[in-house]
Amino acid sequence: METIGADIIVKILQEEGVDAIFGYPGANSLPLNDRLLDSPIRHYLTRHEQAAAHAADGYARATGKVGVCLSTSGPGATNLVTGIATAFMDSSPIVALTAQVNTSLLGQDAFQETDIIGITMPITKHSFQVNDINNLSYALKQAFHLAGTGRPGPVVVDLPRDILAAKCKCPNEPYENLAEVSAKDIDDPEQLEKIAKALDQSERPVLILGGGVKLSGADNEIRVLVEKAKIPFVTTMMGIGSISAGNGYDFGFIGTHGYELANRMVHQSDFILAVGTRFSDRSTSITHEFAPMATIAQIDIDPTSIGKNIKVDLPFIGDIKETVTALLPMVSFKERTQWLARTKNEKTDYHEKNPDNGCGPAGHLIRSIQNQMPAGTIAVADVGLNQIWTVRTWQTGAARNLITSGGMGTMGFSLPAAIGAKVGMPDRDVVVITGDGGFYMNIQELATISYYNFPLKIVVINNGHLGMIRQMQDLFYGSRFTTCELGNRVDLVAVARGFGIEGRRVLIDEDPKEGIDEMSRVNGPYLLEVMVDPESYVYPIIPPGRSNVEMIFGKAV
Amino acid sequence: MTKVKEKTVSILVNNKPDVLARIAGVFSLRSFNIESISANITKDPRMTKIILTTRGNQVNLDKIEKQINNLVDIVQVNDLTKIPSVRREMLLIRLKVSKENQKRVSQTIEKLEGKVLSKEGGSWIVEITGDADDIVNIIDQFEKFGMDDFTRTGTIALEQIHP
Repeated sequence: METIGADIIVKILQEEGVDAIFGYPGANSLPLNDRLLDSPIRHYLTRHEQAAAHAADGYARATGKVGVCLSTSGPGATNLVTGIATAFMDSSPIVALTAQVNTSLLGQDAFQETDIIGITMPITKHSFQVNDINNLSYALKQAFHLAGTGRPGPVVVDLPRDILAAKCKCPNEPYENLAEVSAKDIDDPEQLEKIAKALDQSERPVLILGGGVKLSGADNEIRVLVEKAKIPFVTTMMGIGSISAGNGYDFGFIGTHGYELANRMVHQSDFILAVGTRFSDRSTSITHEFAPMATIAQIDIDPTSIGKNIKVDLPFIGDIKETVTALLPMVSFKERTQWLARTKNEKTDYHEKNPDNGCGPAGHLIRSIQNQMPAGTIAVADVGLNQIWTVRTWQTGAARNLITSGGMGTMGFSLPAAIGAKVGMPDRDVVVITGDGGFYMNIQELATISYYNFPLKIVVINNGHLGMIRQMQDLFYGSRFTTCELGNRVDLVAVARGFGIEGRRVLIDEDPKEGIDEMSRVNGPYLLEVMVDPESYVYPIIPPGRSNVEMIFGKAV
Repeated sequence: MTKVKEKTVSILVNNKPDVLARIAGVFSLRSFNIESISANITKDPRMTKIILTTRGNQVNLDKIEKQINNLVDIVQVNDLTKIPSVRREMLLIRLKVSKENQKRVSQTIEKLEGKVLSKEGGSWIVEITGDADDIVNIIDQFEKFGMDDFTRTGTIALEQIHP
């Protein structure tokens, strides 16, 4: 066989260590699908391109490697868009390969032509359309480099069919001069010393850990810092599980659905060291009332994340692992007895008063599931009440065992993302925790799961409603319920069975243990449908337009 | 209210088709207007220099500069509002010239160091350079002579010494 563009792609994918691709073929992608057949790379056929993008994202989040999805041109490419945006918002490294019409047809509204570069420009770190076979290898190398380095993110490579099929020679030269982003600023040791000094002088410091900590692999360095300087830490939702919660310094996550104590501690602190977070509105609520007494220091690899949403007094641009390593010797050992005693007392108090951490029976359910599943099980939460219940309950022993769509809040994310997580981490068990609403959004992936016999455990917490919408309408719209009822005429266990997946329906108020037991025993995929009262909400919550210290614990009477 | 400021930036970019769209995207995302833009290749023809002016509050202007700096094909961004630099633009203006006003028009052009490029059927096209404020004043001055239409290049600029 003659060497063609598709062979160059296969070669570079292998060089980049890609072992799996998630995708859906079309006429324009066929030259590549054909050549992938002879490679050791496995191509998983999802049942929708959106699922392929989420699966690549789930793979990346579970493994830390770059995930890859492949679609054809036109509708195949546009179906990836939600998945690409989801990866973008949570800094997840994926490379999306989109086939394109022949270069001679570009701009002619050819069959299945769409300007995917234009469409994805605001939701990618960068993108390439390869119009010359001589640029193909460089563009692909660059795509993987950009996706995985600095602040990770999605990169689109658009591949016209004639480029995929063009005869060529495989390049053998090394790839040099790959462009960097976020690497243009120099480090500044004096600024680090200022941060260390401000931390030393503070009486009520709080560390805020964002998703960047796990992306940088800095869990150990941060843990040492926490224990040396005795700083209590809170996280953002993406930062949950950044470092082990077992050392007693963990006070939960901040923000709209976070822990009341975590929000209050940030509010009362006099110094904040924020690491790997952009201070998204979900974490800060109204910014001018966020941490009003604190000097704020921020460390991030991405200059645009610094000062993006709040004013920062001591910014530092750099990789978290390297920066914290450099910061450690500058920071003094401290006791901070008073601040720690006060926060620890409040924490004990809080947990005594809120045994299920505001999650009611769902919290109990999720805890039972985790107890029953093997240690190291990865939980993939969807979006809505199920997400908040899961992230408040799941005990993260390692940085990458809780996966959820934080920034984008993409319903339907969990099922396909779990496929990617399982493919990336075949030795780990993977549990999907979703609501009925999110489950319907990518329900076709049951066919993928069944076909490949992925042993995913799928828990659908079914309240017959869009539960979080119902809660907001109940609390903030005078209980005028609209467009939130999904009904309960669908038998999801029968649906699963139709796809060839075993399952069982249980009621949350009666003991769901039998169902959980069966789920953990079954070797293949399993669906556990758990019926929940639609008035089972999540508390506390911050009403819209309020600050982080105005959380409410129930419906105002 | 935060003060509205004008900013002129010099952006050195790789000479590729989608770079301008990416830069424009940074502005439109924050609802910022590009007041003027001019671009051409540099002494290294693989690179283009874009001179761009915009207005807004300082905080947002700084964020935009960071976002532009973060784009892959950007080689360098210099804020010319902060670096001593020479800023000029060129005006092409078309005037309706009659026997009655011809003398005064010619005098004005001479005073402003303009150059008449074309005289066709009573329409003159004049080339004049100046900074942005000069150009506004010049247009004002010609208004009374039957100014027909004009085109401005937008600001071009160069740092006074190597940055």
